[in-house]
Amino acid sequence: MKNFAVGLFHAPQSALAAAGTLKGAGFTKPELLSPLPIEGVEEVLGEKKSVIKHFTFFGALLGGISGFLLAAGTAVLYVHPTGGRPIITIPPFLIITYEATILFGILFTVLGFFISARLPAIRERIYVPESAVDKFVVAVACDNDEQFKRAETILLDAGAEQVRELGEEA
Amino acid sequence: MNDLQYADIHRDVVRSIVETGHKYYIALATAIGVTLLCFFFPWFYQLYYGLGAAGVNHPQVWGTYLASFIFWIGLSHSGTLLSCVLHLTNSSWRKAMYRSAEAMTLFSLMVAATFVMVHLGRPWFIHWALPYPNQMEMWPNFRSPLLFDVMAIGTYLTGSSIFIYMGSIPDFAAVRDRTTGWRNHMYTLLSLGWRGTDTEWHRLRWAYTFLAVLIIPLAVSVHSIVSWDFALSIVPALHQTIFAPYFVVGAIYSGTAGIVTVMFVLRKYMDFGRYITELHFDNLGKLLLVLSLIWTYINGVELFTGWYSGASTEHEALQYKLFGYYAPLYWEMILFCAIAPLLCIFQRFRTSFVPMLILSIAVNIGMYTERFLIVGTSLSRQYLPDAWGVYVPSLVELSIILGSFALFTTLFLVFVKIFPSVSMYEVKETMDIPGTEPVATPEGSAA
Repeated sequence: MKNFAVGLFHAPQSALAAAGTLKGAGFTKPELLSPLPIEGVEEVLGEKKSVIKHFTFFGALLGGISGFLLAAGTAVLYVHPTGGRPIITIPPFLIITYEATILFGILFTVLGFFISARLPAIRERIYVPESAVDKFVVAVACDNDEQFKRAETILLDAGAEQVRELGEEA
Repeated sequence: MNDLQYADIHRDVVRSIVETGHKYYIALATAIGVTLLCFFFPWFYQLYYGLGAAGVNHPQVWGTYLASFIFWIGLSHSGTLLSCVLHLTNSSWRKAMYRSAEAMTLFSLMVAATFVMVHLGRPWFIHWALPYPNQMEMWPNFRSPLLFDVMAIGTYLTGSSIFIYMGSIPDFAAVRDRTTGWRNHMYTLLSLGWRGTDTEWHRLRWAYTFLAVLIIPLAVSVHSIVSWDFALSIVPALHQTIFAPYFVVGAIYSGTAGIVTVMFVLRKYMDFGRYITELHFDNLGKLLLVLSLIWTYINGVELFTGWYSGASTEHEALQYKLFGYYAPLYWEMILFCAIAPLLCIFQRFRTSFVPMLILSIAVNIGMYTERFLIVGTSLSRQYLPDAWGVYVPSLVELSIILGSFALFTTLFLVFVKIFPSVSMYEVKETMDIPGTEPVATPEGSAA
């Protein structure tokens, strides 16, 4: 069981400032839970890099190749000559390629999102229902009581309306 | 919206889902009843007695089923497409209305796909259009625009479903915490354990933007491909290069009008007056005006191209369209889609809810007529006079058209009780950030 100090704030900027102070005080990865995306998180907690764009790109590439192979492959498997034109006809097959590129791009983007956002959640994690409505929450892991006290002080000094102690399965 | 608090939005949207009045049940029961009676019963009748029950026959082998198919695909166009464009251009007025607009896309596509089945004489062989190894060693012909359609509509349906779902995950999580029983289980599953962490928001923003970028060209391709079902034939008046942009503009036009209708209904009957305001109707009115002008221009180009070709068959088709059997429908379409929307020049008109509702319905009647005329006037005047004919839809077809609207309404009524119809987190983004509100001075005015 891992313990967390969880501070509830009314204003996003106070929560962000508290997270920045906690990070500066040596706490590992303070987490912000909010009802909407907060501007300026990356300036305080560091730049976030996402792998989603790689999923989108390679998904679209795979889709394009698969789409063309599907159209060309079926044309070769069921030969249907039309007016002496080639069996593998580029212009119409490009349309299938185009659609398959987008389809796979979309599916792989979703896959990339799920993997990088760690969804669906398999185990219970720290959550405060008020953060879905109107509270901005800062959660930080504490190894012992002394650390919790320090975190609590920082959170309250930054303007937290209340601080809770919550546990999470390790 | 300045007097609104975050909690108000949350309460209003959750209320719209969990509190259900008797009017809703009456509306749902009526919609289901009309769907069964006017859509499914005539369809089964047609399946039993054959396609002869429909009015289609040579030379008019394509009738209202395909006109309805184009209409519903068109209606689907503004929802997701408009939402994606406005998302990428960071238009904040989109935020209160896009969820319902996207739902409109999804359900219109479903109804459109059903019309393909209705049009088929033997819909139980629909799987023959799919590429899979079978004992007949038969494969679909990917050179046919009909197979382009299967790919495009399948992709669009998948993309639109994913887009609306992804955008709803944070709202499912918010509703999850305020519901009990089966609803709580459902939203727990749908929200996938979303907590609203900074990492989750970051990933959602990127994924959502990539999806928007992918879906815009997809939406354009879908109606272009539908237009090629016609334009790749050699039928006079259909074999035109303008068809793809003509269909795409028509689709966005009719979809935007559809959004106005849906927004009116949500505002009036779901009590979302605080979120769907005059601003939305004003902006949608401007969009309708621009689209109607482009649509009118393309219509002019279509007529001019036919006339300028010098081909007698094109001239005959043109003459028939403007002054023939279906001419009253053509002029009705011009009145509803080219002349009436000019009222949107006036801001007073754009910000009046009931007149905008009437206009939106008129535009969609006009757009349905357009689709009917594309199918109706072209096949009835092909090359040889002995192949000419007139098509009038049968009662079965008319009933199925009516039923399709009931089917759409049924799906939408179910949607408003499952999905938060207004995107909570995005409406919150348009409000003042807590902690930065103006401070009241002792005199009572804002400092």
